Amino acid sequence: MNDSVDLKQARRARTASFFKKGILIALFSGLLYGFYSAFIVAATSSAAWYPGLNGAEGWYGGADGWYDQVLANQIPDLVNIAGASFSVLMAVVILGALGSGINDFISSLWMIGKAAFKGKFMDFLRCYKSKPGLVMIVCALIGGPIASTAYIIALLMSGPIAAPITALCPAVGAIIGWLFLKQGMNLRIGIGIIICVIATFMISSTAFEDFSLTDPMYLAGLAIALIAALGWGIEGAIGGFGTSVIDYEISISIRQFTSGVFTLFIMVPVLFLIAGHFGLFPTMLVEAVQGPLVEDGLLASPLIFFLISGLAAGFSFAFWYKGNSMCGAALGMACNGGFSFWVPFVSFLVLGLYLGWEGYALAPIQWIAALVMVLGIFLIAVNPLEFFKKQKEA
Amino acid sequence: MRPLNYAILKLYEDGSEIDVQGVMSRLNDDYRKFRAFKPKAINESLMSAEKNGLLEESNWELDDKNELHVYYKVTDYGTEMIKGYIK
Repeated sequence: MNDSVDLKQARRARTASFFKKGILIALFSGLLYGFYSAFIVAATSSAAWYPGLNGAEGWYGGADGWYDQVLANQIPDLVNIAGASFSVLMAVVILGALGSGINDFISSLWMIGKAAFKGKFMDFLRCYKSKPGLVMIVCALIGGPIASTAYIIALLMSGPIAAPITALCPAVGAIIGWLFLKQGMNLRIGIGIIICVIATFMISSTAFEDFSLTDPMYLAGLAIALIAALGWGIEGAIGGFGTSVIDYEISISIRQFTSGVFTLFIMVPVLFLIAGHFGLFPTMLVEAVQGPLVEDGLLASPLIFFLISGLAAGFSFAFWYKGNSMCGAALGMACNGGFSFWVPFVSFLVLGLYLGWEGYALAPIQWIAALVMVLGIFLIAVNPLEFFKKQKEA
Repeated sequence: MRPLNYAILKLYEDGSEIDVQGVMSRLNDDYRKFRAFKPKAINESLMSAEKNGLLEESNWELDDKNELHVYYKVTDYGTEMIKGYIK
C-alpha cells in the first residue's frame, strides 16, 4: 500500500496516542494501588481493629499485642479476638480476609454504580452470565480470595520479604501473555522485566533483616508468596485479555463483586465456622466498620477509610486491566508494578504525614529503586536504539 | 441482546472489514440509546482487540475532511475466540 505522508503521520499519531494513554493508565493504576493499600491499613488499624473500640485492646491486640509479637517473630499459641480464642494462623487469615472482603465489596458497589451511571448496568448483568464473564469470575477468585489469602499467610510465615516475592507477578503475567495470549516477548522486554523485579527487591530490602533460609516455616512462607505472585500474574494477564472482550468498567465490576461477595459472605463465615466461632461473624462484620468519624481533628472512621480504599482499589484494578489490554500484559504489568514504590510512598503521605504514625518514612534506597524501575519500564516500552534514532531525526 | 462489546466483535466474525463508522451504522438500530455507543469508545475497543490479537488492521484511508479511517478484520485466533466465547 502506497501511503501518503499525511496518512502515515495520522496512523502513527493514532497508534502513539493509544500507546501513551495505555502506559499512563497502567502507571496510574500503580499509584492508586498505593492509596488503596494506605487506606486499607488505616481502616484495619482503627476503632475495633487495633487500638480498640471504647478502650478495648482491639482485634489485633493493640500496641505490643499479639500481632506485633507475630511481626517480631514471637508467635503465641492462641490469641484472643473479641473474647474468643483463635489459633494465630486462623486469626491472621480471618482478619485479613474480613478487611479485604469489606474493601472489595464496597469497591464493587462503587464500580457497579459507576458502570450504571454510564448506562452499562444491563451489560454488567448480561456479561456476568456469559462465557467471558465466567473467565472473569475465575480470574477474580484466583486474584482475590486465593492470592490475597496466600499473601496474608506468607506475610505471617516469612515476614515482609513476602512482599517483593509477590512482585514477581509482572514476570508471571508477561510469560502467560507470551505463552497463551500471543503477546510480544523478546530479550529487551525480558531484561526490562528483570530490572523491574530487581527494583522491587531493592524497595523491600529494608525487610530483609531477619533473612533465614534454614527455617522451614520461612521457606514455606516464601513458597506460599509465590502462589500469590502466580495468582496475580494470571489475573493480570487474563483480566487484561478479558478486557479486550468485555468493557473494562464491566470487567472490574464483575471482579470486585465476585471477590467481595465470595470473600465476605462465603469464605469469612466458613473460616469462623472452622474456628468454632461462627456466631462472632455478624457482630464483627458490623463492628469492623463502626467507629467515631473524627478523632483529634483527623478522620478516624473505618467506614470512611474503607470507602476510600474501595474506591481506590476499584479504579486501580480497572486501570490495571485496561492498561494491560492497551499495552499487553508485559508492559502493562511492569507499569502497574510501580505500586511497589507507590505503596510505601503513599503510606508515608497518608499514614506518616497525615495521621502522624511512626515508621513510614522512605529509605534512600527506595528512591533509587524507583529510578531503576523507571529504567526497566522504559526498556520494556521502547527500543532504545529506535528511540534515540527518532530523537536524532527530530 | 448481547453486551455492546460482544456485538462489536461479533460483526467481524464473517470476515468483514469494518471501521468505527461502519460499526456504528451496523449497530445503530439496537445500540444507539447506549451511552457508551460513541466513536471514541468504539475506537478504543477495536484498538484493544487488535492489541490482544483478536483483530488486525486491513486497510486505512483519509477522508475528504482529512480524518483517518482504519478498517479491521478478524484474525484466525480472533475467529476462534469469538466463535468459542461469544454466543
